[in-house]
Amino acid sequence: MNITYIDWLIMLVYFVFVLGIGFALKRYMRTSNDFFLAGRSIPAWVCGLAFISTNLGAQEVIGMGASGAKYGIVTSHFYWIGAIPAMCFVGIFMMPFYYGSKARSVPEFLRMRFDEKTRALNAFSFAFMTVFSSGISMYAMALLIQELGLFKGILPDAYIFHVSIIVSALIVLGYIFLGGLTSAIYNEVLQFFLIVAGLLPLVWIGLRNVGGWQGIKQTLPATMTHSWRGMAHASTNSLGVEWFGLVMGLGFVSSFGYWCTNFLVIQRAMAADSEEAARKVPLIAALPKMFLPILVILPGLIAVSITSHMAGAGPEAGDGTYATVSAQGKPLPLDEAHPHGIVPVKTDAITGQPVVDSNGVPVYDYNKTIPVMLLHYFPTGILGLGLTALLASFMSGMAGNVTAFNTVWTYDIYQAYINKKGSDAHYLWMGRMATIGGVALSIGAAYAVTSFNNIMDALQLVFALVNAPLFATFLLGMFSKRTTGHGAFTGLLAGTTGALLHHGLTLPAGETAGIHGGWIAVVHHYPSDMAQNFWTAIFAFMINLVVTVLVSRMSAPRPEPELVGLVYSLTPKPVEGHLEWYQKPATLAIVVLVMALALNIIFA
Amino acid sequence: MGLDIRIPLGLVFLIIGAIMAVFGLFTQGDATLYEKSLGMDINLIWGGLMFAFGAIMFFFGKRQKWQDDPVNPRPWEREPKAAPRH
Repeated sequence: MNITYIDWLIMLVYFVFVLGIGFALKRYMRTSNDFFLAGRSIPAWVCGLAFISTNLGAQEVIGMGASGAKYGIVTSHFYWIGAIPAMCFVGIFMMPFYYGSKARSVPEFLRMRFDEKTRALNAFSFAFMTVFSSGISMYAMALLIQELGLFKGILPDAYIFHVSIIVSALIVLGYIFLGGLTSAIYNEVLQFFLIVAGLLPLVWIGLRNVGGWQGIKQTLPATMTHSWRGMAHASTNSLGVEWFGLVMGLGFVSSFGYWCTNFLVIQRAMAADSEEAARKVPLIAALPKMFLPILVILPGLIAVSITSHMAGAGPEAGDGTYATVSAQGKPLPLDEAHPHGIVPVKTDAITGQPVVDSNGVPVYDYNKTIPVMLLHYFPTGILGLGLTALLASFMSGMAGNVTAFNTVWTYDIYQAYINKKGSDAHYLWMGRMATIGGVALSIGAAYAVTSFNNIMDALQLVFALVNAPLFATFLLGMFSKRTTGHGAFTGLLAGTTGALLHHGLTLPAGETAGIHGGWIAVVHHYPSDMAQNFWTAIFAFMINLVVTVLVSRMSAPRPEPELVGLVYSLTPKPVEGHLEWYQKPATLAIVVLVMALALNIIFA
Repeated sequence: MGLDIRIPLGLVFLIIGAIMAVFGLFTQGDATLYEKSLGMDINLIWGGLMFAFGAIMFFFGKRQKWQDDPVNPRPWEREPKAAPRH
C-alpha cells in the first residue's frame, strides 16, 4: 500500500463537498415536505442518477466485481434481465399511481389503496430492513478499510474498524440531518459521477493490459465471456440456473419486486418535479444502468485474465499483503488453466494463514477483486480517486437507506400510530431525530453483523422472504379494482410463509441443512443457491397472487369512486398531448428495451 | 431547491482534476511511479479530462437560472386544498 498525501488530499476534497452540500441546502429545509420529499422539485435527470446511485452501494460494486471474477459475464443478467425491464415497467405503468396519488411513501400508498394493516406490515418490515442494510454497508466498508490497511500507521490497528464506522456514520448523519432527501439525492449524483470517474480509468488501463475484450475472450473459458451460453440447463452454466428460473425468478419476480416496490428507489422518483418527470426517472436511470457492467463486472473479468507473463502482473511491489505463494511455499498457479489472475487468497482473520478447502486448494477472496485491481493499476494520485469512488459507493448505499428509514418512520409509524396531530414543524424535527436514530440503529446493526457469524446470511434470507411476494400485491392492487385490503394483507402473509416453507424444504447442492435451507426436511435439491433463491421468489409470488385473489373474492370491494387515481382502469391516462412523440416516456422505454436487447445479443 | 447540483459537481471535478493534473505534470517521466499504469501518465491524462468535465458542468450550472424560486409556490401548494391526510 503506498498512499501518499496526494491521495488523502483528494479524499479530503470529496468529504468537504459531501458535508458542504448539506450545509448549503440547510436553509431550504422549511417544511417536512422539503426534508422528506425534496419539495418535489428535483429535475428528472438528477433523480434518475440518484435512482441508480442509491442502488450502487457497497454490495453492488464489491459484489458484482466478485461475481464477474467468479462467474464471468453471466453476472450481467442482474442488469440486463434483472433490472432494465422492471425499471421500464415502474416508469411507464406504476409511477402515475405513486406520484399521482400524492402518497408520501410506498407504505402510505398501500394505506390509500388497501388499508391500515397492510400499510403497517409493509412499514415495519421495511424500516427493519433499511436499518440492517445500512448497517451491513457500514460493516462492509469498515472491514474493507481495515483489510486494505488504509489507516495503518496512522491509527492503532485495534481502532481502525471502530473509527471507520463512527466517521462514516457521522458524515452520513451530517449531510442528511442538514439537507434531508435533497442532500442525499445531490450527494448520490456526486457519488455516481465519482464512481464512474474512479472506475473508468481502471477498466481502460486493465483492458489495455490484457489485450482488450478479444484478449479476455482468448484467456478465459467461453462460458465466462458469453452471457447466455449453457443457459438451457442448470448444469451447463456457472450460475446453476436454467433459463426459465432465470427469467421468471430474477427477471420477473425478484427484480420487479425490488425496483417496483422498494421505497428506497421509489423515493428518488417521487422527488421529481412533475408526474411526467417522475415517470422518466427510472427510464433515465436505465440508460446508465445497462452500461454499469462495464464498470463493475468487467474489472472482475480483467482481474482473472491477468496472467503471469503480462507486464506488471508480478507480486505487488513493496506490498506483502497479497500472497502469491501458498502456505506450503509453492507458487500459486497464475496461468491460463487457473483463471483467478490477481484475485488474492482468502486469509484467516485470526491466524493470518491462507484458507484452504478440504482438498488443500486455496480459497480465493473474490470480494477483494475491485480493491486489488485499484492497487494493481493505479499509481498514487489516481489511487486517491479510486479509493474515493469506493468510499462514495459505500456512503450512497448507507444514505439511501437512512433517508428511506426516516421518512417511513416519521410518516408511516410515528404520524400514523404515535402522534397524529403534530404540527409540520414537529414532523420536520421528528425527521431529523429519526435520522439520528436510524444512523444509531445502523451502527448497532453493523456491530451485530460483526458479532454473529451467520447474521449476514440470515438477513439476506429475511430480505428475500419479505421482498419475494410484494410485487404480486402491488400488481393486483394497481391493476384490479376487485382486490381488497383483507386480500392484500392475507396474501402478503401467505406469500412470506410460503417462501419460508419453500426455503425450509429445499437445499442447494453442497450445503448442509440449516441457514441455507432444508431445516424442515429436504424434499428437493437445487443445483445452486441462486436457483433456490429464484424459485423461492417464484413460489412466494404465486402463493401471494392466488391467496390475494381468493380472499379478495370473499371480501367486499371498496366503492369505485374511492379508488380513482389508485387503480389503472379507474384512473384517467396521463395527459401526454403537449409532448412530442420523442418526449413521451413510452418512446424512451422502447429505446431502453431495444438497447438492453442488443446488449444481450452482442454478449450472448 | 435553490442550489443547482451541477455547481458543486463541477467544482469537485475541477478541484480533484486540477490536483491530479498538476501532480501528473510534476511527476511526468517518473517511470517507476507509472509502471503500474503501463507507462501512461494517468494522473495528467485523467486529471485533465476530469477538469474539462468539471468546467462544462460548472458552466451549465451557472448559466441555467434555477426555476424553483423560493417565492413561487411548490407543485403541491399550487393545487386546490387537498383533503388532510393522516
